[in-house]
Amino acid sequence: MPTTGDRLARRYRRLLFCHPRAYRRARADEIVGVLLDAAPAGRTRPTPREAANLIRHGLRCRLGRPASRTVGVWATLTAVICGLFTAALATRAAWETSAPQPDRAETAAVFAAVLPGHELGDVDLAPALFTFYSQPLTVRALDNLLLGDGGEYQQSAVVAGAAGTPRMPADETLALAQRRLRETGWQVYAPTVHSVPGCADKTCTPVVTVTDTTLLARRGDTVLQLHVAAPPSPDGDDPSLTLSRTTPPAVLPAGVAGGLLGAALGWLVFGWASRRTEAAHPARAAVGVLLAITLALWWTPVLLAAPHLLRHHRAEPHPTWHPLWEWLGQPAASLLFVVGAASALLTLALAAAPRRSPLPTAAVG
Amino acid sequence: MREPTFLILTALAGGPRHGYGIIREVTTLSAQRVTLLPGTLYAALDRLHAQGLVAPDREETVDGRLRRYYRLTPDGIGALDAETARLRQLATAAESRLRALRPGTA
Repeated sequence: MPTTGDRLARRYRRLLFCHPRAYRRARADEIVGVLLDAAPAGRTRPTPREAANLIRHGLRCRLGRPASRTVGVWATLTAVICGLFTAALATRAAWETSAPQPDRAETAAVFAAVLPGHELGDVDLAPALFTFYSQPLTVRALDNLLLGDGGEYQQSAVVAGAAGTPRMPADETLALAQRRLRETGWQVYAPTVHSVPGCADKTCTPVVTVTDTTLLARRGDTVLQLHVAAPPSPDGDDPSLTLSRTTPPAVLPAGVAGGLLGAALGWLVFGWASRRTEAAHPARAAVGVLLAITLALWWTPVLLAAPHLLRHHRAEPHPTWHPLWEWLGQPAASLLFVVGAASALLTLALAAAPRRSPLPTAAVG
Repeated sequence: MREPTFLILTALAGGPRHGYGIIREVTTLSAQRVTLLPGTLYAALDRLHAQGLVAPDREETVDGRLRRYYRLTPDGIGALDAETARLRQLATAAESRLRALRPGTA
């Protein structure tokens, strides 16, 4: 029958799981001995403070280079960016749980409810959840996606325009639509107004200032955007409305889980490469340079896109947030991501090269 | 140099000690203010070993528990000496300012 001390020793030993295996092999008996010496009689479980301390120092120990003051910063940068990318990937997968895009019947019903008195014109259905230049993304389009056009990969929407010339002034259309939206259960956001140069007729002489008003509303998993121009566009389709889906509920938990998993993997892989190259490694310097290049290529789009998107979010109402990958500057900067991934793989390949001599893994060699 | 590092080096200045011995000595030296947790102690020992300031000395097994002793290296003695001089200079400067501030209590 195991004694109290045996049980406690086993629990302490389990808490050393964050330390690298070679370190555990060399030091676990000694550290567990100290923990048992320090534990008061009768203790059967490690205290939360002890557990947190062992896990924290175990994670640091995985990085090797015990005298380094910066390795923790590099590991954190690596783990966070890996976590962000895997979270973005997980959220993209979770978007597939979204309800199908509104079909013609649903769009027509919403149009009739929101814009009574207007005749429904053309309806452009959404061919996929996310589209690239309004088309489903295909392998053949990947080169365009990589070479600068990645920003065109966006959430798609169903667009419906009114047929013929508008039957009432723009402000009346807006007021009526707001009232009808509220009556039919939509949450209506404050309209945004932009003034842009435009045309009052097909000859476009003279150029006039067009006041373009966008009204956003949300009901359930559907987002509605109503566009009303004054004077109305000579090309017709005014007013027009677009319907799209909100972020599915599965996206948040998928993102959190994917992020934690990616960050943990990033930390472990960084730690492995760091320990392998901490001394007497032929590619020690090259690995450091490649890591810096990788992090620069991966972090730069994030640092540029996230503040820009945050300003955009604060400037306009958003019934649903932009997808996570857009906050990371992807796939607009997917070329940088791919080159960074190649650099990361090269870093790991160099780290895997044989060392010049065996590396001591503990203070006691 | 951080206080726990200084205290570990000071604990080892009295002679080689094992992990639990260092913890107890640090508690005594700091008048119970600092109690090192084993995770913190071994992270510090790994760092000090990598810096060449401490070295493993010997091993023994007591009641089935492995005890590994550590000692100061000549570099460790030098680092402790330099840090002690730095702290003494700071303490002396602070004391002289305090005496000037409270002449009656000097």
